[in-house]
Amino acid sequence: MDFEKNNRMYSLLGQRGTFGVVLNEMAKENDSIVGISADLTKTSGLDRFATNFPQRFYNVGIAEQNAVAFAAGLADQGRNPFVCTFSNFATLRSNEFIRHFMAYMGCGVKVVGLGSGFAMGLFGNTHYAIEDISVIRSMPNITILSPCDCMEVAKCVEFCSQYDGPVYLRLSGKNNNPVVNKRDYSLRIGKGIVCSEGDDIILYATGSMVSVALNVAKLLENRGIHAKVINIHTIKPIDKQLIMDNKDYPIIVTMEEHSVLGGLGTAISETLAQCSYHGRVLCMGVEGNYKNPGTYEYMMEQNGLTEDKIFERIIEELDA
Amino acid sequence: MPKEGILKKREVDKMTNLENYVQAFCETLEVSEEQLTGLKYQDVPLWDSVGHMNLIARLEEVFDIMMDTDDIIDFSSFEKGKEILGNNYDVVF
Repeated sequence: MDFEKNNRMYSLLGQRGTFGVVLNEMAKENDSIVGISADLTKTSGLDRFATNFPQRFYNVGIAEQNAVAFAAGLADQGRNPFVCTFSNFATLRSNEFIRHFMAYMGCGVKVVGLGSGFAMGLFGNTHYAIEDISVIRSMPNITILSPCDCMEVAKCVEFCSQYDGPVYLRLSGKNNNPVVNKRDYSLRIGKGIVCSEGDDIILYATGSMVSVALNVAKLLENRGIHAKVINIHTIKPIDKQLIMDNKDYPIIVTMEEHSVLGGLGTAISETLAQCSYHGRVLCMGVEGNYKNPGTYEYMMEQNGLTEDKIFERIIEELDA
Repeated sequence: MPKEGILKKREVDKMTNLENYVQAFCETLEVSEEQLTGLKYQDVPLWDSVGHMNLIARLEEVFDIMMDTDDIIDFSSFEKGKEILGNNYDVVF
């Protein structure tokens, strides 16, 4: 597939729409791919897949646990099943089934978490997924992917279509998803990508926060502060070598649309602790209790995850 | 407001703008020119939500514009699209 040519269309569709389009294309050449939805066919961007491959598409209804168990059986029989539903339901409601079938038995199920972080907006706290990375990361054997833009989603789906192990693919952001990668590139699972160079401070970001990090870097640049920005698209296995190679920065900032407990910030902090890092780590993510719900933009603002808020916190930290 | 140079270029191109618009529809939605009059969103299989974004991306490329979300949602038919491009993006048909 020509990912670069389709980049603007992908961006307009957003990450979940891109997932559906690319899975449909992959399925044309790979008849082991099976699509499974928990009552979210259209919302998952799978309408074309369901139309084109009715023999390989199953809507199990509002039964996320069954979706994972059913998929595990298919994977055991040589199929490559993609289970798609909102991230909170995918990872929390199905949690024990993911643990049994994917982490323990190693079944090659791909769980695709839609609308991660605050993307579900007005659906409220019941539909936000801000603990999903944490609960999956604590289980062995599951690769966790968190693409920064829609081209990266396409590349992750391409990887998943050829990989026989278990994966949690975390999709974030809204429609009109910011484009981070304008040109095609090589995605190496488990290897972070340096998006911009800088000597003063380092910003690690994942998913929707990568484009925010790049904007924060521009704000810092206006203050004469040169930031290195790294896209961590694979949260597990984390790129330990990259983190250790960049441990000389006095301040390390992590950014994620997720709880500060157990996600990207934790994974990086764990690695830094292992290499005796003596600087400061500023974890930007969701802290404290559940807040009053609202639109995506409102929630990002309330949780201090906009570029202006992050910039202010970094300046405070630098001035401290 | 568009820059003068861009406006002039679009006026010069106006003989081809309609052709480009028609071609974008025909190629992305796999329809014939005869089908275009009165064609609305979801009238043909390929004008679904994915096809819609494919069409918008193609029109943005052809006319060198970036469409607002409200306009993308309002773009509900062949005729409505011309109206939006003409009124909001200075594409002269």
